[in-house]
Amino acid sequence: MPLSDGDLQALWLTIRLASMVTLILLLVGTPIAWWLARSRWRWKGVVGAVVALPLVLPPSVLGFYLLLAMGPRGPLGQLTRTLGIGPLPFTFWGLVLASVFYSLPFMVQPLQNAFEAIGERFLEVAATLRAAPLDAFFTVALPLARPGFLTAAILTFAHTVGEFGVVLMIGGNIPGVSRVASVQIYDHVEAMEYSEAHRMAAVMLIFSFLVLLALYTRRPEARKG
Amino acid sequence: MDRISAHFHRQWPGFTLEVELELPGRGVTAIFGQSGSGKTTLLRCIAGLERAEGGRLNFKGEVWQDERTFLPVHQRPLGYVFQEASLFPHLTVLGNLRYGLTRAKTAPTVSLDQAVELLGIGHLLARKPEYLSGGERQRVGIARALAVSPRLLLMDEPLAALDLARKQEILPYLERLHDELALPVLYVTHSPDEVARLADHLVVMENGRVLGHGPLAETLSRLDLPLQIGQERETVLVGTVGERDATWHLARVDFPGGSIWTRDRAIPLGQRVRVRVPSGGVSLCLTRPEDTSILNILPGQVEEIAEDGHPGLTLVRVRLGESAVLARVTKRSLAALALTPGQPVWVQIKSAAVME
Amino acid sequence: MKLLKLLVLAGALLLATTAHAEKITIAAASDLKFALDEIVSGFKASQPGSEIEVIYGSSGKFQTQIQQGAPFDLFFSADIAYPRELAKLGLAASEVKPYAVGRIVLWSNSLDASKMTLASLSAPEIGKIAIANPLHAPYGKRAEEALRAAGMWDKVQEKLVLGENIANTAQFVQTGNAQVGIIALSLALNPELAKSGGYFLIPESLHSPLEQGYIITKLGGAKPLAHQFADYLGAKPAQDIMKKYGFVLPGGK
Repeated sequence: MPLSDGDLQALWLTIRLASMVTLILLLVGTPIAWWLARSRWRWKGVVGAVVALPLVLPPSVLGFYLLLAMGPRGPLGQLTRTLGIGPLPFTFWGLVLASVFYSLPFMVQPLQNAFEAIGERFLEVAATLRAAPLDAFFTVALPLARPGFLTAAILTFAHTVGEFGVVLMIGGNIPGVSRVASVQIYDHVEAMEYSEAHRMAAVMLIFSFLVLLALYTRRPEARKG
Repeated sequence: MDRISAHFHRQWPGFTLEVELELPGRGVTAIFGQSGSGKTTLLRCIAGLERAEGGRLNFKGEVWQDERTFLPVHQRPLGYVFQEASLFPHLTVLGNLRYGLTRAKTAPTVSLDQAVELLGIGHLLARKPEYLSGGERQRVGIARALAVSPRLLLMDEPLAALDLARKQEILPYLERLHDELALPVLYVTHSPDEVARLADHLVVMENGRVLGHGPLAETLSRLDLPLQIGQERETVLVGTVGERDATWHLARVDFPGGSIWTRDRAIPLGQRVRVRVPSGGVSLCLTRPEDTSILNILPGQVEEIAEDGHPGLTLVRVRLGESAVLARVTKRSLAALALTPGQPVWVQIKSAAVME
Repeated sequence: MKLLKLLVLAGALLLATTAHAEKITIAAASDLKFALDEIVSGFKASQPGSEIEVIYGSSGKFQTQIQQGAPFDLFFSADIAYPRELAKLGLAASEVKPYAVGRIVLWSNSLDASKMTLASLSAPEIGKIAIANPLHAPYGKRAEEALRAAGMWDKVQEKLVLGENIANTAQFVQTGNAQVGIIALSLALNPELAKSGGYFLIPESLHSPLEQGYIITKLGGAKPLAHQFADYLGAKPAQDIMKKYGFVLPGGK
């Protein structure tokens, strides 16, 4: 085995984290994207800007504020205490929550674009064919937005895999819980274990390339359908 | 109550819709006007696609909109045909047709097979919309709107996006629709051709207002409405085929007010037909002409006279019993014959100029 | 075209402003931040017109970077092994001079650390203990050694959270997410932390000594300013500042 157990554990943890975050964001991000695409509320730009914030905030800054918020004196920390859930920092789910914030725009923006591209007409047609708004969403908007979903899911997954600054801030580098691949590689480099670092980096590079290749070779089909 | 009553007063930036209409609850009502006249907006308001606050809409006794209620589009038992077919690209033709079927809760008045047959799209069912021609797509769009068994069919310039050949291809289908289904249709168009061929009732709009409306033949012969597009005005006589002359290949159409001979189009006796009479094919005489090549000479009465575009021309509306036709007469002839309203005249209608 | 010309001009201006006379760049271990900042401003006051830039970071990383030719003129390392390595490779222009022996402390801002010992770490109210990553941080290595020596390593394993560097480690404790942390004495003494929490000095006998030293790099050797600064470090004002922040040599405090 070219990779150590620690390395494999980190990779597996990364995949679990990225998958969970992508799933959650598909559920959470879709209604947000739909609302942003369709709403005519005057202040919708504010919501759009808030969603886009993680794009411009340095990840370690985002991580630091989440650390504060999830800590015993912060709003999220107090909420979890009242709900009987333990503190979130240094846990897998704390990392999931932080990553959901961090990768939010990568899910919402492609979806929003896809929904906007559908335009009004098809939904009007659906309404004249007796489809209630929710029905039209599931039977017309979703199928037509499918390429957008693919892009959004892959971008979100890839972005979460590459996450580092946020994890650094609130992860605590606990093996199997928050020692994700990016941190593992960083530690190898810091400890001057360069060959281990090279090996892990190579594995991640190949994996990411294959995923992106899948995205870009499927595209023409998706566009036609 | 068998009528459709629509009251809409709404302002958009740069445009106001002010409509108070009572329309028949059967037959095809054409809503005619130039672009920007508000006809599509009116249709969309009736459909509920535009929300005109404070509007009122009553369909045969059902309140679809008033001060307190607004029935959402998907709950109105209507069908809507858009200008571009807008077929769902992710479904086949059959999938598109079936979409409304499973959702419509009204008692089926039109079966899927009937719609498919009426529009002649049986051979296209398995295809995806991107593989259809423009005319085929529009026919599917119409069939799809019918498949939900609507009690009111709204059509927004369904032929506008098609070339002449496609239009000629689909018009017969629309005529069949009209003849075979007892479905009230509101048909928005800016084409006098479509109006003449399809409408039973005509609404004329300009700048968001209704200038006039009424039964087709009567409204078409009005001189105070902006109905002229292109070369000349025309009127329509609606009658039945009374006789067919095999020797001369002519057919006689009887209408309320007289009869005229036209080319025999192999239309069976007793069938209802429309005869379009272009104003340029109608001439007037004070005495009954003899030795003329024109077959149709009918007694009538001058009703109204108006200008006809060019300063040298006038339009004269002549009453033929219960019907009326328009005659294009030069001012010089008008003066020479001293034509005035109320004056009896002989009306010559060139049968060669009459169409089916 | 006009935009292009503008961009080229701006670029040239930028380059011009960065090329100037006497300037040295110092690479220093993170824990030296407050001490070295004060020393540098003291030096600048005594020698106006001198340009000194200090980059703080991880000692191990600096060593690698200097090996790869990074333009640092002085290198202050939290672990003397790194500059010694550079000297061996012929990349030092001075002898390796020790400046302190690093000490580790238990620090907390929610509990009274001054009354704690390493044994207290197994107490149930301590949910999480933050230490720097022993794999690559000198203070982290010493923390692990001390915990092992005190027989506490296995007992507190599950409670450990690792910071990537000493500042990261302190943040975990400052934000209340870890109840206590093992950090550098120099960090515990800086005003920001000193005012909110107390510390317990972990006995030197529990871990290998953390000798800290500095060199003038080969690149810096050519600059008079670098030598002047190195000399200034030996002077009393600089020494006092170092003492204030807990950087002492054995026999110094």
